[in-house]
Amino acid sequence: MLAFIIQRALQAALVMVVMSMIVFLGVYAVGNPVDIVIPPDATIAMREEVIRRLGLDLPLWKQYGIFAWNLLQGDFGRSFIYNMPVLELIGGRLPATLELVLISILFATVTGVSLGIYAGVNPESRIAKLIMGLSILGFSVPSFWVGLILILTFAVHFGIFPAGGRGETVMVFGVEWSFLTANGLSHIVLPALNLALFKMAMMIRLARAGTREAMLSDTVKFARAAGISEATILRRHVLKLISIPIITVFGLELGSTLAFAVVTETIFSWPGVGKLIIDSITVLDRPVMVAYLVLTAFVFVMINFTVDLVFALIDPRIRSGRQKS
Amino acid sequence: MTPSNPKAPTENPPVGMTETGKPTPPILLFWREFRRNRIATVALGITILLAFVALFAPFVAPQDPYNLQTLSLMDARRPPGHVGSGGYVHILGTDAQGRDLLSAILYGLRISIQISLAAGFIALTIGATIGVLAAYIGGWVETVLMRMVDLQLSFPAILLALVLSALLGQGKAQLITALVAAQYAYFARTAYGAATAERRKDYIEAALATPLSARRVIFRHLLPNCAPPLIVVATVQIASSISLEATLSFLGLGLPVTEPSLGMLIANGFQYMMSGRYWLSVYPGLMLILLIMAINIVGDQIRDQLNPRLRR
Amino acid sequence: MTYIRITGLAGAIALLTGMAGAETLTIGVRGGPESMDPHYSALGTHAEAAKHIFDTLVWADEALQIAPGLATEWSPVDDDTWEFKLREGVKFHDGSDFTAEDVKFSISRPPIVTGPTTTAIYVRRVQEVEIIDPHTIHIHTDGPAPSLPYDFVRLFIVSHTAAADYSTPETAAEGFNSGVASIGTGPFKLTSWEPKADLVLDRFDDYWGGPAAWERVIRKEMPNDSSRLAALMAGQVNLVNDVSSADYLQLQNDPAVDIFVGDGIYIMNMLLDQRTDEMPGLRAKDGSALPENPLRDIRVRQALDKAIDRETMVEIVLEGLGKPADQGMPPGFFGYSENVPKPVYDPEGAKALLAEAGYPDGFEMDLYCSSDRLPGDAAICQGLGQMLSVIGLTVNVNATSRTVYFPAQARGDYSVSMNGWGTLTGEATYTLGGQMHTPDADKGLGGFNRISYSNPDLDALIQQGMVELDEDKRREILESAMELAADDKVLIPIVQLQSVWAARAGELDFTPRTDGDTLAYPIKPKQ
Repeated sequence: MLAFIIQRALQAALVMVVMSMIVFLGVYAVGNPVDIVIPPDATIAMREEVIRRLGLDLPLWKQYGIFAWNLLQGDFGRSFIYNMPVLELIGGRLPATLELVLISILFATVTGVSLGIYAGVNPESRIAKLIMGLSILGFSVPSFWVGLILILTFAVHFGIFPAGGRGETVMVFGVEWSFLTANGLSHIVLPALNLALFKMAMMIRLARAGTREAMLSDTVKFARAAGISEATILRRHVLKLISIPIITVFGLELGSTLAFAVVTETIFSWPGVGKLIIDSITVLDRPVMVAYLVLTAFVFVMINFTVDLVFALIDPRIRSGRQKS
Repeated sequence: MTPSNPKAPTENPPVGMTETGKPTPPILLFWREFRRNRIATVALGITILLAFVALFAPFVAPQDPYNLQTLSLMDARRPPGHVGSGGYVHILGTDAQGRDLLSAILYGLRISIQISLAAGFIALTIGATIGVLAAYIGGWVETVLMRMVDLQLSFPAILLALVLSALLGQGKAQLITALVAAQYAYFARTAYGAATAERRKDYIEAALATPLSARRVIFRHLLPNCAPPLIVVATVQIASSISLEATLSFLGLGLPVTEPSLGMLIANGFQYMMSGRYWLSVYPGLMLILLIMAINIVGDQIRDQLNPRLRR
Repeated sequence: MTYIRITGLAGAIALLTGMAGAETLTIGVRGGPESMDPHYSALGTHAEAAKHIFDTLVWADEALQIAPGLATEWSPVDDDTWEFKLREGVKFHDGSDFTAEDVKFSISRPPIVTGPTTTAIYVRRVQEVEIIDPHTIHIHTDGPAPSLPYDFVRLFIVSHTAAADYSTPETAAEGFNSGVASIGTGPFKLTSWEPKADLVLDRFDDYWGGPAAWERVIRKEMPNDSSRLAALMAGQVNLVNDVSSADYLQLQNDPAVDIFVGDGIYIMNMLLDQRTDEMPGLRAKDGSALPENPLRDIRVRQALDKAIDRETMVEIVLEGLGKPADQGMPPGFFGYSENVPKPVYDPEGAKALLAEAGYPDGFEMDLYCSSDRLPGDAAICQGLGQMLSVIGLTVNVNATSRTVYFPAQARGDYSVSMNGWGTLTGEATYTLGGQMHTPDADKGLGGFNRISYSNPDLDALIQQGMVELDEDKRREILESAMELAADDKVLIPIVQLQSVWAARAGELDFTPRTDGDTLAYPIKPKQ
């Protein structure tokens, strides 16, 4: 087990090094932020001063060297636009995004898995068909469109929920959270729902497919033959069988929900990291882009690492080196 | 041996043999099973219809929305049913430039389908090549290629497409590049999975031991076995790239506004949502949803049919 | 205590509780500052936020006419010296007195701490600052600088004690963003700021102009036009800026909302490149090369001008939210000429002029525009394409994002393009010198001349206007320069944009500013 952990940890570290390189070179190879950031009427002297100050006059490998060296010391550099340490810029907005993402994905998983199991157990029932229809709808409707409709319906037309922004926050453990206040909670409902729909559709399908397979498995057939109640079968066997793919997807989707938050945050003016990255992309604020991508990669690597470990705990075969497919 | 039946087959007839003795082509069998799901059949019909409409948009659409000479600003933003200066009824109304919205939607559909098909095809080609090569060659090539693919798969496609299209700028080619980069890995993983499963089978090992050319092994055995799962992935990916393109356009990173895809039409129409001119974004939105849903339902059915574990 | 708005009943409750609800003003704004250091960026949205916390020596009023600010009067002492008399009895937020030291310090700061959008331009003419007494300073310039008071409109005065330790590129952001160094003399004190999110300001009770009507002002950044308006409708904010033309018509008939329309500083211009050596995007209709650049022919430029139906552009494309433009600057600005003839829509005349110039069948052009810089730019661009195609031209319209458009335009990739130009200073040398003077890096002129236009007569007028210290003579020179530019069709002005603000009905007294700034201090609760 220890060898497995060490091996995976080394792999993760290597991946991070490679990722940081790819991200840095990718972002720095294309586009010239100087054209966007410096007003066109700046004199040549002003222009060169800015280029020098941003460190863009150095050769690329040197820029990467400086970046990597600072990164090792936990310094992601300064934003071209805000002249603030990037980490501070991102860190200040991270709680808002995390809160939104966690609430969405929890909601999506709980509802999605329950509906999916139901549809898997009774595949031919009318409700199951309805659930599957909804899941296909949730899968197909682009999330920005849902966001618009949600705002129009619940914020503008009925006036039940606010149209955007983050509500009141309270400090817990030194971080501002909004879901603990009534006002904050009312602000988070629509964006969280918006972000959750796609994941929910995915969870429904996953849970349904898993349940259907599990229901056909010999274990369940025998259990049924032995007269064990459906509820017990579901709890003991089906849930256990479908838990592995769901844990994987939960982990992986945590990351992709972080990414999708970009769209939701833009529509609902949610002051999170996603909105920051969209703005940074449009003005080519490289340090922020690089930091965001490297951090996202880090989150992904960590999630994969954790999922692998959890797998190894659940399924001993993996420990012995058998690849999951 | 009874003389009455001299031509009796020495082995059991394969499944699907008809009375005449000719085997039914598997595609026909597939179709028969497909047809049993009425919703999927309707979805397939819609998909084909939309594809045709998109293909023949110039002949189907009442107006060429890009011919500036046929447009009149006087017709701008008229509600559905308005009779324009061109003399015909704008069934779905007009957009901010006085374009017939139905025509704009049909042309937008064309662009959306064009882009997602192009991206899907290129991603399929690149992905399948990587996957099959990795499976065939094995060794460190396999490790490096698949490690790379896995790495990318763990990264959200939308983020990759977002950053790439921001860096590459607006335009069809740039957008397709971004979509391909975001999607090839799914094809690579799928092809690799199918090809390794096949590669491990004894007959391939045997074939490799004989002087059969690598090309023959790859094209006759590995690729055909990858085809079914690749088709499933392709339908999913085409649907998702239509949606992705729309999202990018909505965020202002996709196509230029002057050549609107469905996503761009919705984004353009979004600014009129608050002022009650719903048709500008609702109809393109409905078309987009219809298209994606139809493709997804078809893809679902194909997957269910190809998944042997669900067969009783 | 947090003030919670009660939607729908707001008006009645405000009356009943005697303005208890008017303590906090929440504004939804399209864009915000990049830092709390006022000297960091020259962007309009940056200066707009800074104006709440900091003052300037010279103030620009709603119509961009200059007025006393922290300086009560100013006058040229000789050809290259200005004297500024400073206001007495002004306090900084930390209670210290405002003196000449602060001015000197504030003038020295921009070149050191500025970000990429440089604020050094506001002090580029300054050679030396001489303190005569605590409330009198002499500014020595590099030659006659009649526009110095206009430059100082954007020069914010910071406290020379509070900001002393936060005046290097490394320390400035930390010091100012945390509030330690952002000590100004303005009507509001900085409470907190989150980039791209909320700027929270509290009233400064000892403001020299009298305390503001609001105890607290929250400026929320909401870049999406529809979301911003939705927030107003849902009662989350009291006021929003930059209402889009798409929503304008509808809001006019909405009793729940008050709207305020103001003329803007932006003019949408069509730019016609006059290079001789190459003409990218211009060709004959059959695709062959044209013998020469048609845009050099004044008749072609006149024809393009006549082809534009500015009334339709305003009424249909902008849904009423704009005005036809006849020169590169809005009416009333220093140097605007009343003698420039109003443009006439005349497609037949345009065709005749094209034929006369040797293009009876027209030609083909690629028209490029920014699509996300100013409200309506992409729509105007497409409308323009339609109008030009009416006179027989084949027009390919390309509206692209500003991050692509401006660098490409600067490289000379476009022969025909369209974008907005804002006369930020409210006077003509900015517009003439920037856009129409022959490019001259040494003099700092023609930096935005994207059309390879060079006219020695116009150059001479612009340069005279830049050094003439006599107001009336200066005005005369600049007006004749504007007339010459209009006559030669240097740029084809199309429309002047207008800005719209919207507030919950009956809540606020608000006067639009020409520069589009949304400033909390002049806003009062409606009695």
